[in-house]
Amino acid sequence: MFREVTFTDVNRLASMDETCGAFVMDEDTFRAFYDRTARGVWAYLARITGDRQMADDLLQEAFYRFLRADATHDSEAHRRNSLYRIATNLARDARRRNLLRPAANVAGHDIETISAGDRPGAPERSADLTRAMSRLKPKERAMLWLAYAEGATHQEIADVLGVRASSLKAMLFRARHKLAGLLGRQEVKNAAR
Amino acid sequence: MQPVECEFEAEVLSAVLQSRWPERADPALQAHVADCTICSDVAAVAGVIEDAREEMRAEVVVPDSGRVWWLARVRARQEAAKTAARPITATQMIAGACAVGLLGACFGATSAWFQDALRWMGSAFAGFDLAGELMAHGTIVLGMAGVLLLVPFAAWLAMRRE
Repeated sequence: MFREVTFTDVNRLASMDETCGAFVMDEDTFRAFYDRTARGVWAYLARITGDRQMADDLLQEAFYRFLRADATHDSEAHRRNSLYRIATNLARDARRRNLLRPAANVAGHDIETISAGDRPGAPERSADLTRAMSRLKPKERAMLWLAYAEGATHQEIADVLGVRASSLKAMLFRARHKLAGLLGRQEVKNAAR
Repeated sequence: MQPVECEFEAEVLSAVLQSRWPERADPALQAHVADCTICSDVAAVAGVIEDAREEMRAEVVVPDSGRVWWLARVRARQEAAKTAARPITATQMIAGACAVGLLGACFGATSAWFQDALRWMGSAFAGFDLAGELMAHGTIVLGMAGVLLLVPFAAWLAMRRE
């Protein structure tokens, strides 16, 4: 995590060679990329961790590690996938270190506090989703969010989550079925009739 | 084997994301969704997640990109400085060990008391049977050798983690 930097630190660091700590990506490219992706990555982290504060911390860490990786990317999608993979690994590590509160405890107290806007029924839907997602495994949450919020392809999801693309369809099917059940699939069927 | 994909899945997803579902969707598609578990799951999940995404993205305030870039640069420099300092520390440790060794050698060469002690130890261990002692106390010797190897390895692991 980023620690507070004192003036002494800044003076000492400023005297170091400018090339120290330089990244492959230049500032303008980074800032444009950050502006395009930061909100999405934050939402992803908040959903898979169930914790806004954790999402704030991990967001900065994810971008830092992305810069430090100094990888070259073929395309925007490739670059984006690398960032999401880093974010996924950070969330998993944080969970392993027991820094995360159990998602069930967070639901209703944290993510739900995000305003659902003025649309009728939106707050209830948002709360329902939070409750339902808190009952899924982190990998299932990540998979569904990447598929339906980020519009990622099966291959992209497999790359980000580090699973085999061939198993992803079945995994996604099971996760979706579980979430739909928790959200009340019958309502959708009735609406369609 | 239960199917995990449906050919209408993309169509349902598109209708949901374009807010056409269910009122303005094709009646044939609606009829299909009513009977297809896969598509009804997609319809149930996709719209809710898309709404949540929009809400979260609209509400969240992320740090300014310039600040994130600046902090990343500062942190990278700190880490670079730390990395650069590591070989110096190792060199200093080696130099320290050499200095202690040299001092010890000087002391040994000049101190009459130390040389007497060495001579006494030489005579005391003159009849020492190393092979026999090793056979008799093999387990203890092995244990000590293990500790001597493990301690530096553990120290190396701890330093590596840092």
